[in-house]
Amino acid sequence: MHGDGDSHPLKIALIGNPNSGKSTVFNQLTGLRQRTGNFPGVTVEVKEGTIHFPNSQEAVLYDFPGTYSLYPTSSDEKVVATVMCNPVDPFFPDVLLYVADVTKLEKHLLLFTQLLDLKLPIVLALNMADSAAGLGIKINSQKLSEIFGVPVVPISGRTGHNTMRLLLEMEKLVTQNASIVRPAFYPLTESEKQVVEAVRLNLSIEEPYRALLIAHHANWLPFLKNTEKETVAAILDTKKFQSLRAQVDETLERYDRFTPITQATISTPPAFPNTGTDRIDAILTHRIWGPTVFFLVMLLVFQAIFDWSTYPMDWIEQGFGMLAEFFTSKLPAAWYTELLTDGILAGLGGILVFVPQIALLFFLISILEEIGYMSRVVFMFDKTMRRFGMNGRSMVSLISGSACAVPAIMSSRTISNWQERLITVMVTPFISCSARIPVYLVLIGLAVPAIKIAGVFNLQSLVFGAMYLLGLLTAFLAGWAMKRWLNRREHSFLAIELPVYRMPHWKNVFLNVWENVRSFIAGAGKIILIVSIALWALSRFGPGDAIAQAEKSALVEAAEKGKDSTATEDLVQQRRLEASWAGQAGKWMEPAIRPLGYDWKIGIALLTSFAAREVFTGTLAVLYNMGDQEADITSRTETEAKATLRQKMKAEKFSDSGKPVYSLATALSLLVFYALAMQCFSTLAVVRRETGNWKWAGLQFVCMSMLAYFAAWAVYILFS
Amino acid sequence: MQRRYRTIKDLKINESAKAISFEDSNLACKLTSMGVLPGTRIEMIRTSPFGSAYYVKADGVRLALREEEAASILLEI
Repeated sequence: MHGDGDSHPLKIALIGNPNSGKSTVFNQLTGLRQRTGNFPGVTVEVKEGTIHFPNSQEAVLYDFPGTYSLYPTSSDEKVVATVMCNPVDPFFPDVLLYVADVTKLEKHLLLFTQLLDLKLPIVLALNMADSAAGLGIKINSQKLSEIFGVPVVPISGRTGHNTMRLLLEMEKLVTQNASIVRPAFYPLTESEKQVVEAVRLNLSIEEPYRALLIAHHANWLPFLKNTEKETVAAILDTKKFQSLRAQVDETLERYDRFTPITQATISTPPAFPNTGTDRIDAILTHRIWGPTVFFLVMLLVFQAIFDWSTYPMDWIEQGFGMLAEFFTSKLPAAWYTELLTDGILAGLGGILVFVPQIALLFFLISILEEIGYMSRVVFMFDKTMRRFGMNGRSMVSLISGSACAVPAIMSSRTISNWQERLITVMVTPFISCSARIPVYLVLIGLAVPAIKIAGVFNLQSLVFGAMYLLGLLTAFLAGWAMKRWLNRREHSFLAIELPVYRMPHWKNVFLNVWENVRSFIAGAGKIILIVSIALWALSRFGPGDAIAQAEKSALVEAAEKGKDSTATEDLVQQRRLEASWAGQAGKWMEPAIRPLGYDWKIGIALLTSFAAREVFTGTLAVLYNMGDQEADITSRTETEAKATLRQKMKAEKFSDSGKPVYSLATALSLLVFYALAMQCFSTLAVVRRETGNWKWAGLQFVCMSMLAYFAAWAVYILFS
Repeated sequence: MQRRYRTIKDLKINESAKAISFEDSNLACKLTSMGVLPGTRIEMIRTSPFGSAYYVKADGVRLALREEEAASILLEI
């Protein structure tokens, strides 16, 4: 066992350059035994998975973000430097697994030699050994291992070649647990030595290279105390140490030292130009064809979400409908049956019905990411995005935002400029995410007639498209406004590598889809389920005997007007709801939302969907007592003449004026409200985490809500 | 003073030249860590569809650079 005893789980850090095939290796080693801290409470975004050694010992493998160097330029890269500078960090590893792409070894060894100087046990995995052999590259891994004094294993993350040997080498390092005696790969210069000695003395740090890193990064390293930061600043000042200059010089010196090593251990054929990638890029980044292809790809993505996913969605809806019917017929008519069918099953169905769309969207986006297309998008649209205060990399966030804002906001970490990153984080929630789809579907189906315009375009589809456009335009406008407002001049980079095109590795794609679907069900799903149950209770019970009273008076009223049994039942339901806790809350807020054309029932839906907007349809389903029939709300085929949610909503009248609640104006106003309002607690929590405090998350919430309110108001006035 | 140097911005499509130095030290830090070093041959491949960014190749690495980033990399005449 490891030195610290059994209480301490063995930690292995997986580190490597971007595009080194690191995540493929991670998936190869851990398979489904992995999880990501996607939701609140995790401070560092590091994927973790469990690996089993041949001797049945277990270890946690942390997949760190792809990094070029311990001198980071984006907050993504800062994660590695932060952990490596701080031996008491919870992620600080016992063993390092360094992955390098063998076909680019002359570039990928920089970070490796930096890590060598931190004197941690390292295994060097030479990835893509299979394609290297295909290209005629020969590696002498034995010699490499002797020179660096670490185990070297040629592997293939794609085929799984040599995975066992890699595990055995890591196991050996873990069990030996010997202290590392290794000469420094990079000899410090005179001025660096002076700084390092002073830092070591004042901050009591043992490793010279760690002391140097701390000297370079003291101003932003999160674990240093303010007094320590001041001490280091004073040292740098008195020694007149030029940090940036020294970083570049060190990097160049390292290249000078390891280039002869790679030349002596790797025989590369004169040139392997990857002409395939050049030919593809001649089209995909072409002045005219590039943007055209991008537009077509986006069209395909949206076609997939709106058209192809309706089949599995219908199956899920029908399945839940049948399940609810089954329980209603088998269980006694009591409160717990209602809770099960109208609360829990309605809520669960409302969650699972999104899964096909989310899975499909993540599937397509991870393919685009895997083959290397996303960085081309960054290249093509950098200029456009900068006009609106963002970076070409923000395109990736905005595209992913059409699936879910949570991972989209996290993908903004690759942007090095703080202001560009902040604007990206702030405007991404305007992009219509998959959670808005069911709300749009219900409201459009309600208010917009299904007629053809000019014989080709379905008016409903056009309004649907317009909602996406509205979100996109608002995002850009907000970006432009924020740029004018913040107006900070700060260093901003594009400098992005355009990787060689590769076939997607399907295991990576599927694991990514699975990971996102799972965190959606676990994270958002939990909220929806709790809200559905709470809502069911709030609308079933009321203060004192208010509900019993309401029922009685409704029965009397129905008898007076001579209503038939169904009409009587409807009236009773209506009055009971009005008297319930939920009804009271809705009535209380009705004055505030009446200018927008909403009644108290919509008010309840607005309140409950503050935590997650997809709750809206579920709430209305519960409020209109649809129970199992909620299944029909998103299906576009209306063959069955059931009382669907849509039909019930159409029949809804304002209690005082008697006018229909869901006029065109109200529905459009609601659509605009849902397109613009910040109604997602998970997103707010992620914004808080990514920006460091509640200030920006709060500002985002207030601004988006106000914008939504006034825009909805304007739309209502315009159309009524 | 007459200009005694040129930058990536001055390269024509498919033209290449050796990089001598990086004038912007932040960018130098980034580029060197990506393996683009002084002395590397840089080839201009194309400009971006909406302008203001360049697609270049440097020693097998394909890179996208902004106009001002390209202007900070000095080339051999």
